[in-house]
Amino acid sequence: MSKQTRKSARRWPLDVDSSLLPRDARTGEAILPSEQPGYYPGYSTLSQQAYWDKTTRDLVNERVNNIPRVRHFSAESARFWRAVFDHILPQTDRLPERRIPILERLDERLFNNRGVGYRYEKMPPDREAYRLAEIAINEEAQSRYNAGFVDLPYLQQDLVLQAIHDGKPAGAKPIWKQMSIGRFWLLLLQDAIEAYYSHPWAWDEIGFGGPAYPRAYTRLERGEPEPWEVEEQRYDWDAPRYSVSDTTESTHHLHSESRQNEFIPDESQ
Amino acid sequence: MKKPLLGPFKSRGDGHHALGPMQHIYLPMRRFRDTDEVDYLIVGCGSAGGVLLQRLSRAGFRVVALEAGPFWNTERDWVSDESGSHKLYWEDLRITGGTDPLAFGANNSGKGVGGGSVHWAAFTPRFHPSDFEVYTRDGLGADWPFRYETLRPYYEQLELEMPVAGPAHFPWGHPHGYPYGPHPMGGVGNALIKGCSALGIPVSIGGPVAILSGSRADRPHCIYRGYCIQGCKVGAKASTLITHVPDAIAHGAEVRDYSMAHRIELAKDGRVSGVHYFDRDGASWFQRAKAVIVAGYAIETPRLLLNSACPGHENGLANSSNTVGRYLMAQAGNVVLGRFDEPVRMYKAPPAHALTEEFYETDPRNDFARGFAIQTVGPLPIAFAKQMVSAKRAWGWGLRREMMDYNHWASFGLLGEILPWSDNRVTLSEERDQFGIRSPYISFSLHDNDHKLIKAAKNKTMEVMHAAGATEVVQEARYAHLVGAARMGNDPRTSVVDKFGRTHDIANLFVCDGSILPTQGSANPGLTIQALAARTADYLIAQGDTIFNSSKRDQTEPPMRRELAPPDTWGHGVPRLK
Repeated sequence: MSKQTRKSARRWPLDVDSSLLPRDARTGEAILPSEQPGYYPGYSTLSQQAYWDKTTRDLVNERVNNIPRVRHFSAESARFWRAVFDHILPQTDRLPERRIPILERLDERLFNNRGVGYRYEKMPPDREAYRLAEIAINEEAQSRYNAGFVDLPYLQQDLVLQAIHDGKPAGAKPIWKQMSIGRFWLLLLQDAIEAYYSHPWAWDEIGFGGPAYPRAYTRLERGEPEPWEVEEQRYDWDAPRYSVSDTTESTHHLHSESRQNEFIPDESQ
Repeated sequence: MKKPLLGPFKSRGDGHHALGPMQHIYLPMRRFRDTDEVDYLIVGCGSAGGVLLQRLSRAGFRVVALEAGPFWNTERDWVSDESGSHKLYWEDLRITGGTDPLAFGANNSGKGVGGGSVHWAAFTPRFHPSDFEVYTRDGLGADWPFRYETLRPYYEQLELEMPVAGPAHFPWGHPHGYPYGPHPMGGVGNALIKGCSALGIPVSIGGPVAILSGSRADRPHCIYRGYCIQGCKVGAKASTLITHVPDAIAHGAEVRDYSMAHRIELAKDGRVSGVHYFDRDGASWFQRAKAVIVAGYAIETPRLLLNSACPGHENGLANSSNTVGRYLMAQAGNVVLGRFDEPVRMYKAPPAHALTEEFYETDPRNDFARGFAIQTVGPLPIAFAKQMVSAKRAWGWGLRREMMDYNHWASFGLLGEILPWSDNRVTLSEERDQFGIRSPYISFSLHDNDHKLIKAAKNKTMEVMHAAGATEVVQEARYAHLVGAARMGNDPRTSVVDKFGRTHDIANLFVCDGSILPTQGSANPGLTIQALAARTADYLIAQGDTIFNSSKRDQTEPPMRRELAPPDTWGHGVPRLK
């Protein structure tokens, strides 16, 4: 790959309102969507695939080129969960043809009834968890804004999901009584993460080296790039104006997993 | 695309079976008939099962290992990919509960030949001498039925068989050195060294880890690609799949893959006579055997014993003490994450490459017994993103932003000793797995000592991360490893097996895997599990046919049989430091 980094094409896609785009932190102007957001412009893991073993190469290419058909969710549920994932991992900074499919990966997992090897006793099986959560999130939207989730404007949808994130739902109490809200939130995030960050376009975005067998990594220290990786080029950005998800809080005072993830008060502090 | 560096993987069609880029065996292996009464039937071909299979077959026994998962062809089956490696993990249904429920699957449970040793990070510290007498020293937990010195020669031997890379002088516990040189540092190791040094804490650099720092016979050296827990396609990281199983097969052992054991058969004479298992199509088979060794790890071992309940043993086999399934342990594995202004790129180098055991022992100044270690970990993007969700409650744009900074983070894992408690236990759930076998229900709750220890360990690890120069430090609470649930001891009323893994109740039924550990220290258990397996094998070999036709229980320590190790695995390396 040429040392010259390529500025990835940016343009204004038809489906995005500028209030939903990240903004330049200095000017406040919307940053136009691009093929590859992030601080590593021109970096491409896929361009290195000749140096990967064939099994890995086939698997990753399959992931990029074959998006599974939706078979588990109904059209209505698929539309609902697509709308949710637009908040869990928003992608308005990506050009439409460079957005990473999330709903389809979840659908495939649920269709095949594939678990991760365990289920919390406070949780129903995953299919049931998603069925109940769709009802609960819609009830949350109703109780806060008198409309179904998909009919709300983006900011209000964000606020509905933030209530779930905070473990402070206003509606659907009976559902959250039989299903841990903290555990469901983790399940939802994990499914979104598993789809997004397993995609080579996400590796490019975050500057992750990707597969390195049989070639090897050689520059182990000081975070230096391999000859085929690129240096970071940071830029400051703010989240879209009509979004509340760009906040974090440290939970380092919570020493046990259940306290950290289940909103259990920490009596031992 | 350029011409690939390596051509497509092709099966050569002559039985050639790849266990690495250079290492291979030829199949088919020997296949026993179900009607053959084999000498030893081992359930589970993982860390312990692989070593047992190798030793017993070399000693001339007729041995079969039933393995629920596949017999990997590493070149064909494994990938450099987080999401594509789920098949390495035990992902059958388990129900997890208690006040502090454990995660399973990718976190701690392997499936397929090699078991957990395929996806471990391969840290191989020994247990300390104090671990063998926790009850005597601290009045908590349990003592082992033997002392460190009993296991020490097996530690030394298995460190050669894997072999282990690490410093020439490892100062904690019983000080010793490692046969292969230490690995170069990655960004995370450098951060640990810097943080520890700033606080005056000694640190072990470049190991101990069962990853080759130089090529050895048909196994290449490490290439620092970072996908250790996705299975080492390079063949540098030790797993029993590549260290012991090939030698076992060369000596007439059989590994029967896709064979899910579901019931041990008890004959009228009160001895076990074989194991019922399902093949991959769900058909049930029965393999006869003169003796059975259960090596299914801390969940599947008690599950199989409980599922084998029969008249006279209504609470499960080998469970007259009501101890099967109890005293399950996991270690606290909180991950402390630090953000640095300069890039770290923590995906390079093995996740496991430096550690400190300075806080391992009971310290009278603490308000808790026992201690913890601090180790490097190197989460890849999916694992790291999940950590950001718990550690910073990140989602949406906040999660995208944290992830764009992935290359600026380093992470340390603490490894904290959680004591064995009777109520942390495996029982049977009413739900069933894909074969119709009752699934395990696991209840896990932290006790007072555990809470205090984890808090202190977390705070100390965060202090080290700050001292390393991190500008932001957060942590994700989690657990690592599983042991206990069929513990060994001298008293048949409070333990399942004796000091050699023989069940107190049934003379020809053994358990040999992580589940027999009475306590766990704050060392990764893999080396100890393999060392125990080699010792149990020596015992069985020394006992000879008396295991098969007598109930005599000889508790004499067997002679060590170094000559039964895989070829060329001992007599190398650095001189041992006293």
